[in-house]
Amino acid sequence: MQIMNAMTRQCWLGLMVTAVLALGLAGCRPAESTGEQVGGAADRPVIGVTLLNLSSEFIVMLDDALQAKAKELGVELIVNDAQRSPERQIQQVESFVARKVDAIILNPCEVEASSPAVDRAKEAGIPIVNVNSETRSTPDAFVGSRDEESARLAMGYLADRLGGKGNLVMIQGYMGQAAQLKRDQGAREVLAAHSGLTLLAEQTAEWDRAKAMSLMENWIQSHGDRIQAVFAQNDEMAMGALIALEQAGMKDKVRVAGVDAIADALQAVKAGRLDATVFQDARGQAGAALETAVALARGEAVERENYIPFQLVTRDNVDRFLKP
Amino acid sequence: MSNPTQPCPVLQGGQRSWAARYGLVIALLILGGALAIRLPTFFTGTNLLIVARQISINGILAVGVTFVLLTGGVDLSLGSVVALAGVVAAGFAHPGDWPLVVPVAMGLLAGTLCGAANGLLVTRGRVAPFIVTLGMMTAARGLALVLSGGRPVSNLSPEFTAIGSASVVGIPVPVLVFSAVAALSAVFLNHFRPGRYIYAVGGNAEAARASGINVHGVKLLSYMVCGAMAGLAGIVLAARTTTGQPNAGVGYELDAIAAVVIGGTSLSGGVGGVKGTVLGALLMGVISSGLDQLNVSAYYQQIIKGLIIVAAVWLDSRGKK
Repeated sequence: MQIMNAMTRQCWLGLMVTAVLALGLAGCRPAESTGEQVGGAADRPVIGVTLLNLSSEFIVMLDDALQAKAKELGVELIVNDAQRSPERQIQQVESFVARKVDAIILNPCEVEASSPAVDRAKEAGIPIVNVNSETRSTPDAFVGSRDEESARLAMGYLADRLGGKGNLVMIQGYMGQAAQLKRDQGAREVLAAHSGLTLLAEQTAEWDRAKAMSLMENWIQSHGDRIQAVFAQNDEMAMGALIALEQAGMKDKVRVAGVDAIADALQAVKAGRLDATVFQDARGQAGAALETAVALARGEAVERENYIPFQLVTRDNVDRFLKP
Repeated sequence: MSNPTQPCPVLQGGQRSWAARYGLVIALLILGGALAIRLPTFFTGTNLLIVARQISINGILAVGVTFVLLTGGVDLSLGSVVALAGVVAAGFAHPGDWPLVVPVAMGLLAGTLCGAANGLLVTRGRVAPFIVTLGMMTAARGLALVLSGGRPVSNLSPEFTAIGSASVVGIPVPVLVFSAVAALSAVFLNHFRPGRYIYAVGGNAEAARASGINVHGVKLLSYMVCGAMAGLAGIVLAARTTTGQPNAGVGYELDAIAAVVIGGTSLSGGVGGVKGTVLGALLMGVISSGLDQLNVSAYYQQIIKGLIIVAAVWLDSRGKK
């Protein structure tokens, strides 16, 4: 009886492992032909990519753009998801080094904690390119955008719409993250330049739409008609604030701007609900990062810092950013 | 825990002291009084409806997880199931696709199935609830990401988003949903046999089994109810935010469990109920809304909430001695 139990248990375990493996295979990307010979000739370079987090919309866009560009350039990509863990990111770079890839693209999780990943690659003499955000250790090249600029554009737009005079509220991102710190800095530069602007309240909604909605509802209660404009440090939160204002019947009197140009926000700008967002160019960043990585792999000289500009999106130019 | 010769231990407050029974109500009144002085607008009808709407999602989840906590289990998968149900419901809620019942039914089904899987693994599989629901927390999140391709599911029909934004006779729909869920659950737990069995199983599973109660069935039921409520909360959240987001609901399980515990339900099962849970959710909602309106920094808000959770349970346990 006991033996039977043990056997059935092993059968079950075997079945489960098979099922899990099958699932894993189903989840794999279709392999891009050959590419057996990792670290092979420079005519088909192999680039290792480690991304911050493939469950964030912007990073998914970055990944899509990298894949498209790789096909165009005839490059083989190995894409790993660090799932927000700098420790995992370091391991991924170490395994890229062990596989002797031709170059590495790093989309860092954190300024400090992801720095060892850059160091490992440099020690091994493999070129490394940071994309989208920075690390303390300097990579061979950096491709990204200045996050301060995005907030400066959005806040500057609100300042113009208010004629340089009026009351604003600001919804912060997750406190202490690089994007929050820089967007905060950019927004404050604009506030400092306009003495007529008053920041009535500021609070974090942790990049989250539902939290921003509750926060805005609460502000509508405490500040009411005095609020003339809302700056949210990302579009998710801008959408939350927008919905809260619409439900309170106040949207026609309050200007709302966000950052990121996610699909939903672009639709809202098109419909005249959201006043402005700021486009961060995922395709531009991915394309430039991959081109830089390939050039480094071939030993060519590259631009050490490559800033892809942000663009303000309003109803006037939104059609250019909407996908057909 | 309680006396094993008593198959249905404790109606709310049976032997509990006055302080334990009314402590929460008193805390709410004191807090309300303080807020009323500092914020004259806090006790207006519109603001109270807004606070009620803000707590409704956490409230629905908290009522659901009350069932599981009463059996002595725990459910950590709530937040992920909320995201999964929201993504599933949103997928069926594009304008002109399906009548409104379909996305609602699919969201509820997704939640209930997750709950059933949790329940079966806990009862038939004999794996600890903490582990089972921890696994579900990860797996359901992954499934939500797979189904949505990592992107929010947007462009939802106005009928669907009305679940989050419309009002009936002046009361927001989420508040009505929460009230209905809470009232039905309270009646079920107090006056129906399977509801009483939940208390019996949580109070003493062995005694319950000896007196002929189908312990596995009761536990399975409680996980399924909890999953269904998470599905419902996911639908309301997706409607309220007008998207189904695979990243939604992170940490919601802990807020829900906190509300239940503040409300006096014991983590070891058998003691407590929906009435306390509703008060607990109200207290948490009033605090966070009031602190936002007073412009208290988010850092201090976290400290204050942490202290209140511990203080509530400490007062409760003192009251019972």
